[in-house]
Amino acid sequence: MDEKPEVQEEKQENGQMMPADVLVACEKKRDEYLAGWQRAKADFLNYKKEELQRLQEFAKYGHEELMQGLIGVLDSFDLAISYSEKQGSAPTPTGGRSPDQSVGMEKGIYMIRAQTEDVMKRHGLLRIRVKLGDAFDPAFMESLGEIASESPPGTVAEEIERGYRLHEKVVRPVRVKITKQ
Amino acid sequence: MAKILGIDLGTTNSAVAVTDAGEPRILENAEGNRTTPSIVAMSKANERLVGLLAKRQAITNPKNTIFSVKRLIGRKFSDPDVQRDKAWLPYDIQASSSGGVEIKMGDRWYTSEEISAMVLQKIKADAEAKLGEKVEEAVITVPAYFDDSERQATKNAGEIAGLKVRRIINEPTAAALAYGFNKQKNEKIVVYDFGGGTFDISVLEVAEDTVEVKATGGDTHLGGDDFDKRINEYLVVEYKKQEGIDISKDPLALQRLKEAAERAKHELSTAVETEINLPYVSSDASGPKHFLMKLTRSKLEEIVRDMIERSIALTKETVTAAPPKGAGFSLSDINEVILVGGQTRMPAIQEAVKQLFGKEPHKGINPDEVVALGAAVQAGIFQGDVKDILLLDVTPLTLAIETLGGVATPMIQKNTTVPTEKVQVFSTAADSQTTVEVHILQGERPMAQDNKTLARFMLEGLPPAPRGVPQVEVKFDIDANGILNVTAKDKASGKSQTVRIEASTALSKEEIEKLKQEAAAHATEDQKKRDLAEARNQAETLVYTSEKALKDAGDKVSAEIKTAVTEKIEALKKVKDGDDVETLKNATSALSTEIQKIGQAMYNQKQGGESATQEQSS
Repeated sequence: MDEKPEVQEEKQENGQMMPADVLVACEKKRDEYLAGWQRAKADFLNYKKEELQRLQEFAKYGHEELMQGLIGVLDSFDLAISYSEKQGSAPTPTGGRSPDQSVGMEKGIYMIRAQTEDVMKRHGLLRIRVKLGDAFDPAFMESLGEIASESPPGTVAEEIERGYRLHEKVVRPVRVKITKQ
Repeated sequence: MAKILGIDLGTTNSAVAVTDAGEPRILENAEGNRTTPSIVAMSKANERLVGLLAKRQAITNPKNTIFSVKRLIGRKFSDPDVQRDKAWLPYDIQASSSGGVEIKMGDRWYTSEEISAMVLQKIKADAEAKLGEKVEEAVITVPAYFDDSERQATKNAGEIAGLKVRRIINEPTAAALAYGFNKQKNEKIVVYDFGGGTFDISVLEVAEDTVEVKATGGDTHLGGDDFDKRINEYLVVEYKKQEGIDISKDPLALQRLKEAAERAKHELSTAVETEINLPYVSSDASGPKHFLMKLTRSKLEEIVRDMIERSIALTKETVTAAPPKGAGFSLSDINEVILVGGQTRMPAIQEAVKQLFGKEPHKGINPDEVVALGAAVQAGIFQGDVKDILLLDVTPLTLAIETLGGVATPMIQKNTTVPTEKVQVFSTAADSQTTVEVHILQGERPMAQDNKTLARFMLEGLPPAPRGVPQVEVKFDIDANGILNVTAKDKASGKSQTVRIEASTALSKEEIEKLKQEAAAHATEDQKKRDLAEARNQAETLVYTSEKALKDAGDKVSAEIKTAVTEKIEALKKVKDGDDVETLKNATSALSTEIQKIGQAMYNQKQGGESATQEQSS
């Protein structure tokens, strides 16, 4: 009779088919799987948010390469205008035009440039403006040379090439020459 | 768990990646770029600059702009390589009290570790901003030839930057990790790394859980920058020949030329010819001068050929020379070749490497990012992201069902991550069809007969209805173990039938490869077959709708129209089972035009009737 309760207890355990250690192992696995599942779900939700952000970024900066190419076109316009301005309205040796014709041509080129830049502006391009004497700031400037000057050293002495931002991103720094003592 | 960074600390540029949900990805820096120049400077305003900002003032502040510090890190000042580099580096270096290298920046001397730490600090800060969380650990890569002292110094740089360096791994090993080659036992891998400033060649052998570096070689002073320099020099000389003007002294002209040359180099990786067009590049007494020159891929290759040949000779030597100079392998022993570094985008380099090894090199992952991505894979293992339990498989081949005309209609495309489920609704092909057969296929070929049959079953007891009316919903469901359950259910009667296929993904690598190759080899004839099947399906549908329209129209259309339509129907029926797509399409189009007359006649009749009614009422 004394042995009976022991046997009964064993049977109970066998009947349940779940010794304590198996249960612990199962619970551990369950927790691990649940954590993995929650992590995967969280990763997916985060991924969706990031993907949306990436899409917004893409919409903003997806045309950066095209803008870079068009900035090159603006540069060429700038050089043409600057050359023309240096020459004055007088007919060039090669041009052989009347002063009026030259002025008209110059104005036309200036207008095409403005028109091109206007289209680019509408797509987020902004010119970075610097003034002579501004302190050199590599956040949006690049120095290509130095000029001896009386002005404080390390300030903008000459703007060699215009710089542009596409929304917040500097797609081309303003290229400058800076002063040196 | 906090993220661990994978950092490729390069000689010219660095990159950083993290692993999310088992996949590595590059993190952009604060300037929005995927790589950061490995440059540090003390500006004239006594401000410390790192990366792109330091680069932007390098020309006017060469003494205090520190680049290529990787060439000095962990080395003795007396090292012959350091002495050689000292001759051309624009900044000052000296021996430290321990015999190492110290670098002057601003009014202070820094150790090379401190300089590298500044680059790592920026990378860490930018990554934290991007991730929106603190990062404290990293895996950093170094060249395979780095000795203990150089590795320790790199580790120290990480620690100075506030990063616990979990491991320093070899750059070629990281590249192999990014391609997943670490699990392929007994493979011999060559990593051909043509970076901006250095050319490294490494021979690896993958054994049980280890990647052993068998040999390293290369040239620490040969890189993509030399290619750019060579192209620039060529263009300057050519321009001088054309216009008699030397633009090498004009900083703006040179800058424009440099950018245009770089763009041209990139373009020539995909095009065979490009034009460099720079209006108003200079001027003289006769007026403005423009730069307009065509550059062909073959000319570009000619300009840099000696450098490519040199890299190939070095590669051959590193693989075949007897140890310790080389790995002592024959070229045919090499199982995989990986291309790293932006310069390897050049087709001539890819071709030269392919010729040397007689096999296609791996170039699928961006060569500028592959090392950082591999470092992030290693970081992911530390993070615990890459646990077996979370590794998800993909379906190696497309799973499809057969539809009208023997066409294999894809349900789950190849490379879809499992578990997944796709549902599509199909209909019947004949009137009063009470049974549909679901034929489950696996493979990439467009026609059912060319693919492997996984199972077939019948769904019976559909209520009789005209063709196209019943809606049979077919569901493909693959669980994480690759077990495919296909269920077909008639939406009207609710009757359904399911089949379970255990081995939908259990194909050997060879079998999958074979099936994919077959699909590629038969692509053209398969497309023809599919076009024919589709044309035939269209013809059958049109015959069916035309016959129905004739019946529905009854006496409302003239006998003349009816005869014409019937003739065209018969004509189409005759050619319907032939193999000529054009004849079939012509007959279909002829019937399609004719059948419109029925509709037109019926509308005319109706309008006639309506106007008669209107007249009566007015």
